[in-house]
Amino acid sequence: MNDRALQDEVIRALADAPYRASAEWRERGLADAGRVERFARFLARHFYHERIVHFFKYSRALARVTARWPEAVLRQPGFDALLATAVLGERATAHAVARLVTAYVAGEEVPYHEDLLRYQEAMMVVEAGPRVWRDTRRDDDRPAVAPPQPPPELVEGTELLELEYDLPTVLPKLLQPWTTPPEAPRRETRLIVARSRHGRVAVARASDAIASVVRFADGARTVDDLAREAGLRPGEIAATLRDLTEIGAVRFSTGS
Amino acid sequence: MMVGAFYNPHLGAELAAARNIDHLAMADPPAAGDRHWPAIKQRYTLLLHDYLGQLSEPLDDRALERARSLAALYDSPWVAEHFQCLHTEDGTYNLNYVFPPLYTEEFLARFVTNANALKARLDQPLVMENIPGFFDVRASQMPEPVWLRRFFDATGTGFLLDLPHVWLEAHYRGLTPQAWLAEFPLEHVVEVHVAGVEQDRDLEGPWIAPTAPSDAMLDFMTHALARCPAAKAVTFDAFSPSLTADVLFSSVDRIRAAL
Repeated sequence: MNDRALQDEVIRALADAPYRASAEWRERGLADAGRVERFARFLARHFYHERIVHFFKYSRALARVTARWPEAVLRQPGFDALLATAVLGERATAHAVARLVTAYVAGEEVPYHEDLLRYQEAMMVVEAGPRVWRDTRRDDDRPAVAPPQPPPELVEGTELLELEYDLPTVLPKLLQPWTTPPEAPRRETRLIVARSRHGRVAVARASDAIASVVRFADGARTVDDLAREAGLRPGEIAATLRDLTEIGAVRFSTGS
Repeated sequence: MMVGAFYNPHLGAELAAARNIDHLAMADPPAAGDRHWPAIKQRYTLLLHDYLGQLSEPLDDRALERARSLAALYDSPWVAEHFQCLHTEDGTYNLNYVFPPLYTEEFLARFVTNANALKARLDQPLVMENIPGFFDVRASQMPEPVWLRRFFDATGTGFLLDLPHVWLEAHYRGLTPQAWLAEFPLEHVVEVHVAGVEQDRDLEGPWIAPTAPSDAMLDFMTHALARCPAAKAVTFDAFSPSLTADVLFSSVDRIRAAL
């Protein structure tokens, strides 16, 4: 094992609590186990503090009336209990932390609160997962003749949110100064939340065309199959796939 | 000697009007809706101190272009990066916090190669910041100060000396900060970071916090600066939404008074 791989072992031990507890790691004897555990707990609290503050920023804005700050969960027994199984950046851990937050900040101060919590939770969970830190692909690696387009597939973690309120209209207002919380129009709203290969989370309103493609893009159906099943014309399916690829919701199994 | 702080966007109005600060380090690009940014840009010398990438691997073209464009936007006199390796090579695990590499020959060669490549693409000098270790990894082959000295000798980059990092390492090694500092290649220092430390519940000991530097830390700063003949700037290293204007401005004032 080279030094870079050894460093990866140390990083994994700090990020992955079950691995840190495993005989495989402990038998390596690379570092003082007590210090590694203390530093790992410090890192976990820092890791999720950053994410809670970022993804639950609307709940933080509402804390002016709720007095429930989302990041307070990091000092509660529920989070401490999670530390024994937490894997930093893993979707299941993101989900568990987000559930702790939503359970703590839930309330009826604004009628759209439940939608807001689902939205913020989705953003935090979609952001989780391995990411590409650096591109190693060069332009001249691409074939001179484009191969036939492979079937599109939904990127794991992409989420469609069906909401009761039109949240996008109220989100910017929540972050502005206000004395009474801004209102959101009660109007069925569908959003898609996705993440790029580099970890950037994007959210967009989802049309019926997008919802259909999300439902059917399984990596087996061709673009023509998708167009037929979603009832889209060639121009529409191309534009929809382009939009979805851009936000990281859909990929082509050997490309994008 | 320039005395400055980090740009904290939530304190944008206060910073835009401040008169006792020479420079601001930029940990993040300005947000699109930051109404104080034009005044900040006009008023201050800005130092690029963003995450550009970890130099255990080569930076890709996208990261290099981002570094170049941020340095140009800020008109930064130098560009800072850290001696860090915080995510696995395959991207599966990420600590999201500065974490040092193993101090080995292999990592030294990687950092030297990749720092030289980054330096060649920048129009400004590169400076590199030391990162504290909370524990030693038994695979390391040499002490951190020796590894750093060899890195600076091989690359000609500048040293961004983070004093609280040295202070903390000394604390956890049971050494005096002055004794541990004496091992570092101080002749390469261009910029010095000063910050406060607080007790951390998880670490069961002190760690960096967005709080004012203690008198002992300021004494340590004057001790260090007397040994850094090429130092040009001291920066109060606090960047957090919980940082108050009072702590930021009083810390800068105290640093200035101690010089």
